[in-house]
Amino acid sequence: MTFSDTAQAEGPSPFHEAATLEFRHVSKTYRGTAEPAIRDLSFSVPAGDVCVLVGPSGCGKTTAMRLVNRMIEMSDGDILLDGRSVREWRPAELRRGIGYAIQQIGLFPHQTIGENIATVPRLLGWDKARIQARVGELLELIGLDGDMLGRYPSQLSGGQRQRVGVARALAGDPPLLLMDEPFGAIDPINRDRLQNEFLRLQGDLHKTVVFVTHDIDEAIKMGDRIAVLKKGGVLAQFAPPAELLMQPADEFVEDFVGADRALKRLALQRVRDIDLWRAPLVHVGDSTRAAREQAAHSDVPYPLLVDANGRPLAWLDEDDLRGERIEPGAGSPVLAIDADDVLRDALSELLRSEVQYGAVVDRAGRVTGVLSVEIMHAFLAPETKGDLDTAAFERRTSDHA
Amino acid sequence: MDALVLAQSGSFFRDRSGDNSCVANNGICPRWAIDHFDRYVHPFFQHLELVLISTGAGFLVAFALAIAAHRRRWLVGPVTQVTGILYTIPSLAAFFLLLPLTGRGNLTAIIALASYTLLIFFRNVMAGLDGVPEEARDAGRGMGFTDRQLLWRVELPLALPAILAGLRIALTTTVGLAALAFYAGAGGLGEALASQKDFQTNIVLAGGLCVVMAAGLDALVLVAQRLLTPWSKARTA
Amino acid sequence: MVEGEDRMIVPAFLGDLGDALDFIFHERVGRGGAQIGGSQVLDLTVTHLELTLAAMAIAMVVGLPIGIWLGHARKGSFVAVTVANIGRAVPSIGIVFLFFAVLGAGFVNIMLALVLLAIPPILTNAYTGVREVDPEVVDAARGMGLTGAGIVRRIELPLALPLIFGGIKISMVNVIATATLGPEGGVVTLGDPIINPSTYGNAGRLGGALVVAALAVAAEVGLSAVQRAVTPEGLKSAGRARARRIRFPVTKRKVAPTS
Repeated sequence: MTFSDTAQAEGPSPFHEAATLEFRHVSKTYRGTAEPAIRDLSFSVPAGDVCVLVGPSGCGKTTAMRLVNRMIEMSDGDILLDGRSVREWRPAELRRGIGYAIQQIGLFPHQTIGENIATVPRLLGWDKARIQARVGELLELIGLDGDMLGRYPSQLSGGQRQRVGVARALAGDPPLLLMDEPFGAIDPINRDRLQNEFLRLQGDLHKTVVFVTHDIDEAIKMGDRIAVLKKGGVLAQFAPPAELLMQPADEFVEDFVGADRALKRLALQRVRDIDLWRAPLVHVGDSTRAAREQAAHSDVPYPLLVDANGRPLAWLDEDDLRGERIEPGAGSPVLAIDADDVLRDALSELLRSEVQYGAVVDRAGRVTGVLSVEIMHAFLAPETKGDLDTAAFERRTSDHA
Repeated sequence: MDALVLAQSGSFFRDRSGDNSCVANNGICPRWAIDHFDRYVHPFFQHLELVLISTGAGFLVAFALAIAAHRRRWLVGPVTQVTGILYTIPSLAAFFLLLPLTGRGNLTAIIALASYTLLIFFRNVMAGLDGVPEEARDAGRGMGFTDRQLLWRVELPLALPAILAGLRIALTTTVGLAALAFYAGAGGLGEALASQKDFQTNIVLAGGLCVVMAAGLDALVLVAQRLLTPWSKARTA
Repeated sequence: MVEGEDRMIVPAFLGDLGDALDFIFHERVGRGGAQIGGSQVLDLTVTHLELTLAAMAIAMVVGLPIGIWLGHARKGSFVAVTVANIGRAVPSIGIVFLFFAVLGAGFVNIMLALVLLAIPPILTNAYTGVREVDPEVVDAARGMGLTGAGIVRRIELPLALPLIFGGIKISMVNVIATATLGPEGGVVTLGDPIINPSTYGNAGRLGGALVVAALAVAAEVGLSAVQRAVTPEGLKSAGRARARRIRFPVTKRKVAPTS
């Protein structure tokens, strides 16, 4: 069963809900130029992953994306969709099976929002009822009112248009989505909102996505895998975001991800994902001697007073441990940190509260460990290759806080 | 032609004799206009027919040329130059340049008038197609439109306002030029004008009918444009 | 009718066209006994051009200041659009006959009819040209201390020149074409052989049409060259780039100038 057959027969997509994508030694040299725009590009994207192509302008990231749906024909190598070469389809038919969203959106000004979204289903020859149902479904998915259907693109705001652009790209339920800087023309606040919306959508849809951007922060936020390209279409590194930040393949990638890549990692990792200190937990009525003992053998020199449910109450110091037993109401206040927070937010709370330790709590509020500035330092240390002393670290973090 | 001249002077005397003083004084005579209105009906429709046929023919040819030049850009220069010359040659001269080839009559008039409209249509269709936002074209191609589907479903609808603007210019100009078509033996309101060229009422009436025809056709296209391009109204709203 | 030796000059296979060319370059005796063709065609051409240039001069004196003033003041777009539309819709022959019917025959009367025909393109193009000058440029000029007349002379006029000459070109071609109707009002222009074939015969008619067409094309080509020459260097490349970006160049402007 070929793709074109199914397209005409209105059948289900020949792909699963997501397709694997593989670049095999792909090269592209434009006619009349000596230097290739893409040089021997190889990587593969598992089904359902977001693969971000990122790099400075002129690195060929858009070209690489457009090779997939043959808006540009490759000169050499091959691109496989679910194991089959894209060359096996006629370009127009191939494209109907691949979602396509671009920065300028390219909504058709002469068609209503409904007609715009229905573009690919119409090309695929779906019947009217099915198209109508699909359009309604997508409108709901992107959170627009039904009365928007009859409006023209010129009557929508930029953010709404962008959403419609994404809905239109999804209309044919394609297993692969190509997105060329889809949020590039939106103001920062709305961009953030649209990015989050898209991540939420992607959480439900699990499409394979090729996402082009020049913004490394967006790449880190959106990508399951990131392909960093440098001038001449050379692949500098292909890795998940954390790896990219932790182990840049070369100076170019290190430079491109930025001097603040340590901080970017802080934004990527959550508190629960790192090794925390064990807290010396004590309760009201415990003997102070045992508490002192416990603290001495712990990473934290102070006992942490918790209630019967394990929720943090107070840090206890020497003054609080003078008596025989631990009294209720003793100690100084505790900073509680949500285990689901990203490290950046946790660090910022530590710095703002001017404390060294924070009690990490789970959703029920129970203490699961202690987060300290030292842990942060240790977490950042391996990938900074030891060239980051504490003073410099603190200076940089406080700049950002 | 000699016969025509004689016929003109003949009708000239007949019109003035026995009529009221307004006519004798060569004034603007509403009464005469009402009484003799019927003699303008046939020229009017003859004129309209000439305008519609030649504009239609001109449009078809120019449209085909523009579609061809849209994909083969090198054609734009030569086509603009050739249609530019046809546009420049005065219609009156064109009628008589064609005479040895096509003889007197409608065909000559239609060819001359149609060739005059070629440049107008060609330029406007091209401008309309060039004005299609590049991102709409790219998105269309990226979603799997073939070139032909892109042309008919995206590019031409978006070019429609410019094309219709060209139609308005072509129609109004052709109404004016068709008044010369009687020199080629194709009748029309020009013949009515020339039949009593020193009688003010006749000139105003026949000339006025030309203006009315032009304004009417213009209004029709305007209405069509409103109906056919609802999105451009939405843009301004 | 044609002498044998003259016949040799233009190849016979050109037929009607050959006969017409022969009429243009050689005198002959017309049906009424008058000398026609050759130098007489030159006389007709001179009269034709006199009529054309006189009408154009007056039309420019009237149309340019009004158009420039309206454009500078950025008002009166209704006037400009209306003048343009009426100018297109009224048949030129109607104007010529109207002036003939009201004022009678004569050079001045027919010239006035041509003036009326020539004004609309000149006026609306001048209006559009000045009006289309980027308001920010005008604002910057005002900010640097230029006032009304200075802005017109130093900023708006130079930038509007291409369109102004475009309008002059349209009128010129149009007036050359309409001056052909001169004989209908007693002015013996190149239209004479076309309109009065009883004297000139078919050769004269075709010959006259050829000369009129050649004049019109020459005016178009010549004024196009002038138009290019007066276009400020900076506008040439920028103009081209802009033309590509403008979405609906024809409809966006209320008045569509033809250049």
